[in-house]
Amino acid sequence: MPLGALYADAIALLDSAGVDVSPLRDGSRKLVFDAPDGTVFITTRPSDVPTYVEAGSADIGIVGRDVINERRPDVYELLDLKFGECRMVYATAAGEDPTPEVIARLGVLRVATKYPAVAEAHFLATGRQVELVKVTGSVELGPLVGLSDGIVDLVATGRTLRENGLVEREEIFHSSARLIANRVSHKLRAEDIDALTARLARAVAAESS
Amino acid sequence: MHSAHTLNVSLTDANGLAAGALPSGARDVLPVEAAELRGVEDALRGVFARYGYREVRTPVVEFAHQLERADSGGLDRAYRLFDEAGRVLVLRPDMTIPVARLIATRLSDHPGPIRVSYTGPSFRVPQPGKPVDSEHRQAGAELVGADGPEADAEAVLLLWEALRAAGLDQGRIGLGDVSVTAAVLDGMGVPADARARLSRAADARDLVAWRVEAATLDVGGAHQELLAGLPAMRGHAEVLEHIAGVVPAATAACDRMVRLLGLLDQEGLHDSVLVDLGILRDWQYYSGLVIEAYAAGAALPVAQGGRYDGLAARFGTPRAAVGFSIELESLHRALAGAAARSGLDFGLVLVGGLDERLALSAELRAAGIPVIALSASDTRANALAAAEGWRFVADSDGDALRILDRVDGSTFVSARPQEDLSSRR
Repeated sequence: MPLGALYADAIALLDSAGVDVSPLRDGSRKLVFDAPDGTVFITTRPSDVPTYVEAGSADIGIVGRDVINERRPDVYELLDLKFGECRMVYATAAGEDPTPEVIARLGVLRVATKYPAVAEAHFLATGRQVELVKVTGSVELGPLVGLSDGIVDLVATGRTLRENGLVEREEIFHSSARLIANRVSHKLRAEDIDALTARLARAVAAESS
Repeated sequence: MHSAHTLNVSLTDANGLAAGALPSGARDVLPVEAAELRGVEDALRGVFARYGYREVRTPVVEFAHQLERADSGGLDRAYRLFDEAGRVLVLRPDMTIPVARLIATRLSDHPGPIRVSYTGPSFRVPQPGKPVDSEHRQAGAELVGADGPEADAEAVLLLWEALRAAGLDQGRIGLGDVSVTAAVLDGMGVPADARARLSRAADARDLVAWRVEAATLDVGGAHQELLAGLPAMRGHAEVLEHIAGVVPAATAACDRMVRLLGLLDQEGLHDSVLVDLGILRDWQYYSGLVIEAYAAGAALPVAQGGRYDGLAARFGTPRAAVGFSIELESLHRALAGAAARSGLDFGLVLVGGLDERLALSAELRAAGIPVIALSASDTRANALAAAEGWRFVADSDGDALRILDRVDGSTFVSARPQEDLSSRR
């Protein structure tokens, strides 16, 4: 279970698919929760969800496509859960896009991001050299204080970009929450996982209709 | 067991490496694990031999361009070096391709079918941030020059029996088939570029991307639904019968797999086998069946394999081939998690065995009893037995031995240690 922005929606979707999520709602600061039906919920930072699933510590997990694209875990991606919708974008300071000028005069674009693998793949695929500045906090700061020419980051509404005087220049991909499964659990517990996937698929369809 | 302690050696050398540091992904194997790994290997070798698969060995170092003939993508994570003529060498990143090279070049006049097995290390550069070893011991078997579901069934059965012999009881075998998937796509007239995108999605195990791609294709009606769900279809023969019903062009490929499942059912494997059309690896390399084996407690499949009828031709001798390779460390890890280690090792720490009772040491060893010999003045016998897990400690009592059995803490005096010890085995 991904803590943070996806947490509440993940619990709500599991609930509407008939999963007993009551242990997750007791407001405790525990990291591992046991449900009466034997399900064990593990809560963790979203970026660690693929790590636990890939290592088989968890059979299945819920995580954003953004994290999957960045980490490229060796797991099955089973279902688009259609919540936590957002977009990975390249943005620069408002006004004229400085990107062509920077490329022409300096050859290398400097980009601040929390998603270095995604950013590198995007600029590589579009034939541009890039120098990545890995940051962990507010990426929007980068272009404002001269740390970087632009940023690659996730946006939901675009409000944070606007308030910081940034403009989206390129969309890299759409992201939403996904159901992932460990390669071995997906086979050893095939019946359980297929049943849950089918229930979640119905809940997602009901949600979006 | 040892308690944690600080090594009494200088902490770093001139290169700044801590004492005992190893390259990323490399590790030592200590006696208990080594003995268990040996046990697993011996069990696998025994089954391979009973099926008539004779062992072959290939060199650890090969020419990169030789292996690239077979699988251009397979060398991505290989360790490379140069020979004296500047040619690129690799440490073999897997065993299947070198063994295919051996069969195609050294055994080209063999009438076939050829059955060979192998056990040995292969090497892959570990990926940062993932708990993966750089050295993998693999044991596997190849059946070359035999086509048809009967040969596939032997490979699956051999794999299953080998895993069982090694001690695996909580396991399952997953079977996919790239020829079924290809026949379905052919039957629906899916164009080449869309196929490439579907193949990429399948390789990445991304069923969401597969469905998105399938939705962009207009294959119509029942075909549309089948295509979208194809890699998520699993179960048993009924899956294939359903596919053949919807896409008649796939009937031959489906029938072949149904025949394979029938043969496996006869051998009692029905509940251990899962047909899963999402098991699709590298369509360039595999030509039919794709095999994976799973063990509770292992995060990745403990064995992989399948049918690669085009592989041998790349080394000049076209022949059908089916085979698999078992990841020994991964299998051992799963087995170690499932069963506790079985107590003390059968062996006698003999005080005086190095000097005063030298003849007795030789006599016991000749009778098959391991003797760990100490000199008569050595006082570390009990500490040694505790540290290494040996079962018996003995001291001289006149001509006889006073023997401590560490299983129950009892002590007995024995004039005929060879018989008394053997009876406690």
